[in-house]
Amino acid sequence: MTSSPSTTLREAARAPARGSLRGHAARAAPWLIAACVVGYALVVGGYAATVVAFALIYAIFVSGLNIFMGLTAQVSFGQSAFAAIGGYASAVLTTEYEWGLLPAMGAGLAGALAFAFVVGYPTLRLKGHYLSMATLAIGLITYEIAVQWDSVTQGYLGISGIPPLGIAGYEATTDRQILIVLSVCVIATVLAVARIRRSRVGRAFAGLAGSEEAARALGINVARYKLLSFLLSAGFGSLAGSLFVHVVGYVSPEVFSLHMIILSFTMLYVGGIGTIAGPVVGALVVSVLPETFRAFRDYQDLAYGTALILLLIFAPRGLAGLFTAIEEKRSP
Amino acid sequence: MDSALIGQSLVSGLGIGCVYGLIGIGFCVIYNASGIVNFAQGAFVMLGGMITHVLLVRGQLPYIAAIVLSVLVVALLGVVIERLVVRPLWKRNAPMFVMILATLAAQIVIERLTFLAVDDQPKTLPVFTDLPPIMVGGVAVNIQSLWIVAGSLAIVGLLALFFKGTRTGKAMRACAINREAAALQGIPVHGMLALAFGLSAGLGAIAGIMLTPTQYTAFNVGVPFAISGFIAAIIGGFGRPFGAFLGGLTLGVVQSVAILAFGAGLKTVVALSVLLLFLFVRPSGILGAAK
Repeated sequence: MTSSPSTTLREAARAPARGSLRGHAARAAPWLIAACVVGYALVVGGYAATVVAFALIYAIFVSGLNIFMGLTAQVSFGQSAFAAIGGYASAVLTTEYEWGLLPAMGAGLAGALAFAFVVGYPTLRLKGHYLSMATLAIGLITYEIAVQWDSVTQGYLGISGIPPLGIAGYEATTDRQILIVLSVCVIATVLAVARIRRSRVGRAFAGLAGSEEAARALGINVARYKLLSFLLSAGFGSLAGSLFVHVVGYVSPEVFSLHMIILSFTMLYVGGIGTIAGPVVGALVVSVLPETFRAFRDYQDLAYGTALILLLIFAPRGLAGLFTAIEEKRSP
Repeated sequence: MDSALIGQSLVSGLGIGCVYGLIGIGFCVIYNASGIVNFAQGAFVMLGGMITHVLLVRGQLPYIAAIVLSVLVVALLGVVIERLVVRPLWKRNAPMFVMILATLAAQIVIERLTFLAVDDQPKTLPVFTDLPPIMVGGVAVNIQSLWIVAGSLAIVGLLALFFKGTRTGKAMRACAINREAAALQGIPVHGMLALAFGLSAGLGAIAGIMLTPTQYTAFNVGVPFAISGFIAAIIGGFGRPFGAFLGGLTLGVVQSVAILAFGAGLKTVVALSVLLLFLFVRPSGILGAAK
């Protein structure tokens, strides 16, 4: 057994087939689907907008997770820790200390990066199930602290009255404004991840994903790039956490529980691990589908868990695998 | 802090430590047979107590019958999980991470099914024998703790006999040493994997049943137990069943002392910190990892 979580490395390493019309269509398809879902929510507004806004926040979180797990082929079950740090920093600083939105978000980001640096250094030396369990422990410790540290986090009660998203006097308060702000954030995230993947750093990640020994032999500083990938992933996690609390206006520890981890992995696998579009499509599909069966709300975690197991067994490459399969049929 | 209080917490720590130890052994049995770390281990612990409770209260079965039936049902469920979730992935040579994620998802599925089938209220079981606690030098030792310690030691002894003395036990150990060589000797490796899942599910169920009278069980207690069991296995050196038992005792005692010092709220944080400490400083455990 190998320890690599990514099943699409071959695809990540290969240059995309250019020129063929079908190839273009297959590459554009996931983005078109995403745009249609967001567009629909913009037009309809109301509850649909709330669901899609939630999905867009998760798209950012899962994109971050994808840098570490998809592009670099590492394992982390503890990314919820960074979302919790970002979310709580935003919530506490804006309500208790009346900071502005951006400084609070920045403080959360700095806190999450510092935490990722401190825990990442010893943790990332671990491999396999040791790494899995250590990261899971980090996520759960953060959750427990959020529950127990009453004086700051108000425990299970949570913090309410968090101000909405806004910059320099302009506030996004209606569903549509929130959707537009979040869409811009997701587009920026996607562009950033795509840029990272194409860069020297991204190639180092891909090398590391393929084989640590080979990467080391090529002069890639394995430990440093693993940590860098972890930090990038933590950064997006923290931003997603901050956005979440400002959009919802409320935060409690339950937001960052094991549920978040299972949900984000389901999204990552539905969309396709290791691809740029995968996290966005996965987040939208996984968030929107259960809403169409609203009678089954109690069954949500059950559905996510079952779907995840079935995906892992039968379709480990997700929807993105479907699109590339279409593309591959035509390309030589 | 008076010494009686410390003695008290050491006693309760040893009791819960035995339970962690049994869960840890469950991890090792599966790991040795397959190299898989089964993150659904906590579900078996939860189900042991829960199914016994349901049989006892709704089924009106005698206590002993409810316990035996519950252990058998959970062991069977272990085999079912191996068949439905683990086997297909194993055949496909799935990465270890995928296996961990799949078993973690199985844990969530079992949790939610339990929640839907029962409810979210904590459940408890009657103590095995309703006797007043024994006083040992100012320390009250409750009888259920004695049941836990004695029961765990008996199980560890039986397991030792099973692994050393029986043909099947020896075959499982052969799989642990080298699966391919074991297969070449005609040992049914797949069957051993199913057996390992059944065995460690049964162990988890017994641990859960013995512990429930002193605490409670609810649909969501599984994950913390799984993590404690995993920590026990790490402390003992992963893949060493008896090391895991010692690891469980160590963790139980450390945790009880920590509860005394910092309060019960932080017991999970303390346990997880012990885990991180071991992972960072000595990942091969006290006795050294099996492989």
